[in-house]
Amino acid sequence: MAELYPGYDVMAKARTPSWNEQTRRVVEARLAIDPEHHRFFTDAEWLTMKAVCDRIVPQDRAHPVPLAAMVDGKLADGEGDGYRNASLPPQADAWRRGLAALEAEARARHGRCFHALEAAERNALLTAMQQGLLAGQAWAGMPSALFFSARVLPDIVAAYYAHPLAWNEIGFGGPASPRGYVRMDFDRRDPWEAAEARPGHEAQAQRMNARVGRT
Amino acid sequence: MPVSDAPETPRAINGRAPDAFRVGGWMPMRCFSDDEEVDFAIVGAGAGGASLACRLAEHGFSVVALDAGPYWRPLEDFASDERHQAKLHWNDERLVDGDNPLQLGSNNSGRSVGGSMVHFAMVSLRFRPEWFKARTLLGYGADWPLDWREMWRYYDYVEQALKISGPVRYPWGPRRPRYPYRPHELNAAATVLAKGAEALGIAWSPTPLATLSAPRGLAHPCVYRGMCVLGCSTNAKQSPLVTWLPRAIKAGAEVRDLAMVGRIEHDRDGLVSGVRYHRDGGWRFQRARNVIVAGYAIETPRLLLNSASQRYPDGLANSSGLVGKNLMVQSNQAVWGVHEREIRSYKGPPSLAITEHWNYAPSADFFGGYAYMSQGPLPVEAAATQIRRGLWGQRLLDEMANYNHRVGLKMVGECLPQERNQVTLADERDRFALPIARVTFSYCDNDKAMIAHALAFMRRALAAAGGRDIFEETDDTCHLNGTARMGFSAGDSVVDGDCRSWDIPNLWICDGSVFPTVGGVNPSLTIQAIACRTADRIKTLAARGEI
Amino acid sequence: MSPARQAHLAAAMLAASVLADSGVEHYRGSFYNRAMFAPLAAAAATLAAGVAGAMGSRSRFPRDRVYALAAIAGVIGLGFHAWNILKRPGRLSWENLFYGAPVAAPAALVLAGTIGAAADAAEKGKRSWRGLPLGRLLAAVSALGLAGSAGEAGLLHFRGAFQNPAMVLPVSGPPVAAALIAGAAAKPSKGLRRIADLWLKLTAALGLAGVGFHAFGVGRSMGGWRNWRQNLLNGPPLPAPPSFTGLAIAGLAALALLEDGADG
Repeated sequence: MAELYPGYDVMAKARTPSWNEQTRRVVEARLAIDPEHHRFFTDAEWLTMKAVCDRIVPQDRAHPVPLAAMVDGKLADGEGDGYRNASLPPQADAWRRGLAALEAEARARHGRCFHALEAAERNALLTAMQQGLLAGQAWAGMPSALFFSARVLPDIVAAYYAHPLAWNEIGFGGPASPRGYVRMDFDRRDPWEAAEARPGHEAQAQRMNARVGRT
Repeated sequence: MPVSDAPETPRAINGRAPDAFRVGGWMPMRCFSDDEEVDFAIVGAGAGGASLACRLAEHGFSVVALDAGPYWRPLEDFASDERHQAKLHWNDERLVDGDNPLQLGSNNSGRSVGGSMVHFAMVSLRFRPEWFKARTLLGYGADWPLDWREMWRYYDYVEQALKISGPVRYPWGPRRPRYPYRPHELNAAATVLAKGAEALGIAWSPTPLATLSAPRGLAHPCVYRGMCVLGCSTNAKQSPLVTWLPRAIKAGAEVRDLAMVGRIEHDRDGLVSGVRYHRDGGWRFQRARNVIVAGYAIETPRLLLNSASQRYPDGLANSSGLVGKNLMVQSNQAVWGVHEREIRSYKGPPSLAITEHWNYAPSADFFGGYAYMSQGPLPVEAAATQIRRGLWGQRLLDEMANYNHRVGLKMVGECLPQERNQVTLADERDRFALPIARVTFSYCDNDKAMIAHALAFMRRALAAAGGRDIFEETDDTCHLNGTARMGFSAGDSVVDGDCRSWDIPNLWICDGSVFPTVGGVNPSLTIQAIACRTADRIKTLAARGEI
Repeated sequence: MSPARQAHLAAAMLAASVLADSGVEHYRGSFYNRAMFAPLAAAAATLAAGVAGAMGSRSRFPRDRVYALAAIAGVIGLGFHAWNILKRPGRLSWENLFYGAPVAAPAALVLAGTIGAAADAAEKGKRSWRGLPLGRLLAAVSALGLAGSAGEAGLLHFRGAFQNPAMVLPVSGPPVAAALIAGAAAKPSKGLRRIADLWLKLTAALGLAGVGFHAFGVGRSMGGWRNWRQNLLNGPPLPAPPSFTGLAIAGLAALALLEDGADG
């Protein structure tokens, strides 16, 4: 798919009045995450986790958003969500049990590790999890559909859309303080916002996007 | 990424408190010793506790307000980042169950001095007058022991205190004074609501918001950065951090941050004697002549239940058995569509336009009412609406590609009080070794009928304003109320109209917990109005020697 | 300075205010409609004509046509702005008056054109313009303009909730000046002319001081001057207050013409 916001890089704004010091610190720390570093997941879990992330948010880029590492950081630091469905164990236990159960399902169905499966096979297993069709012993009573909707999707997808690469993809203006926005009506953009490529006007959008960091 | 660089140790100590208006700034604060018996110890410094602390101190009482959260200086502590700003939420575990387990954390909890108003969406609405007599006049729920005309005067007061920016003329309800500040400019998402309403022949209005449309003192006017629910980094938002708390401290109140109250103690006569709280690594005890619990609808009942003793085996103020019961949320369903034109709803406060039509022209299909507002979800929240539909993989990415064209309408609907919806104690314990809360919630048939009505109506309105490919977000709620309702007798409620517990005359409860019904509008303005009224009532009662 | 040159100066001042104000405001509006360039061109030409006239230039440049075109552009602008307001949901509502195209702003171009035309006539030694005595005509235009601008400042300062006490000045002072100049035109009286003269000078000074107040407002917004790309647009408009100065100068020119006894 062609880029919707060609050439837009929200990081080009990092030194403009749209960003303040505390925001630069936060986002730069996120960009510095080592995609292979894991403190919470075991090496075996790590392979499964990366294979899950790859299906939940497929990424076709040289340096993808390090989803597995971001979720790993959340779990290692014990960052809670403030609530948990009473049918699920605490998040750390839920992830360990869920990944182990997924691995067991992969071996039972295909005789291979989950991470060694084809994309379509992994999709099929995840779909079965979403539909609550996985209920092997390894789940130990944890509802697979609930694990999928309350843990897998929120944790991975929230990590993705917290990353500047995702902001570029959807044309989000990104951090905005001290400078906010001026033009709020339909079809209006401030010069420091992403320009959308209308069919036939891609080059114009590209030019405008090259300037967002200079305004 | 650590959740925050939240201060690990208290800031509001040694005779000073953080000054929210100045980077690195301080303001002098009177400090009490634990042994000093203060007139009022207030648990929680949010909408209820902060406004109470301010008014009680201004009435000349000695006040200590204790809050579990940190004391922020927004100008330096708040980043423009959804993930990082989760540090404002109550992130400690709570269990949820029932037919419709709630989502807690982000949109309905807060762990900060200033409470969840630090990250609220600033919508500041009055109750419809009839709601205060919902049982008598409208046939559902329960009556309030408060008169709407008196509440109207306290609404006036709070709107002035927060310099609410609102329309010159509000289309619904009895006359109200002009809002102190003018309404904000609409963004495209709000204009879609307006066009939809006009197409369907109902009224709409710019939303009355607690964010400045013009300067006020050292607070900047709103810059339309659109990150209101992450905490306002400009102080345009009139949260307690920049309104009630500086006033309270100036009037002699002490605010203690990172002070988690675990238990309310009582003496041999059964009167409360102070609060046991955890701060700076240890448990301490603050003596007080009165205790006011203002921890919001989960922490308030949790504290009362956790304070059970031999004399009060079911928890404090619980002779009615109603502590924790009648938890009410508001239904928060939405319709979302794609607009041909760019909407870019991330700009400006999220809910710049509203219609209260269905609060004032109720349907025959259900009891109660609802409002709906325009929306401006940031990327993580926008993605959350997609994963609630079960989307992932390429379909998720395709839907999110429409982010700048996405537009939605979201309801705030009145759920009816039901005793089965409740807060109880779980077996698990938190980092303070206190039993955590279990929150049980299920919609009733009336709730479901209202949601169905709202979704159908909002779908028509969105389509009439150019929304295409509309889908419904059916699984979201907002706000928490009930769990320590006010009423007319010790049998039907936990507190009286003055927020004083029926069982223990020097124990008070003053926050969203006391609502007998929840109405179809966001509750913060009503919580503050009740708190200001309670402070005045306490002054009157004290003058009569009844405290 | 002769009354004629003074009136040219007034037209120039007003045109400068319009040029800067519509430049900023239409930039905010992203020049979404090509017609949004028109007031810039008209105001720039009026500014040039006014400055030339004020300097006593004897060029044969048809200044009267420039002024006429400016006035016509202003009238068309009024139509565009009314349409912009009325097409919004809520139609003629406070919200749209606050945030739609400023309803009376293009009238400043009409005023600048009319003042310029009167200046041009005076310069050519005429005592009347299309049958209207020049002194009274200029006095009427100045009075109308001051009252209207005070109304616009009132609307926008109401939008700003009169949060600073100084915000009442442009709403209370200029209407008095308008009444005084109208009175002086209606009833020849040296005393009245003296008071009007003083009050108009104060009003002219207020217009310049207003820029300072507005600059303070821009600087105290979030991000201050570093965030000028936002605060110049969303903060109080720097170019707006000098329109009072231009109109007050036109009033002073009118007083001088009235003083000459040409028609009073």
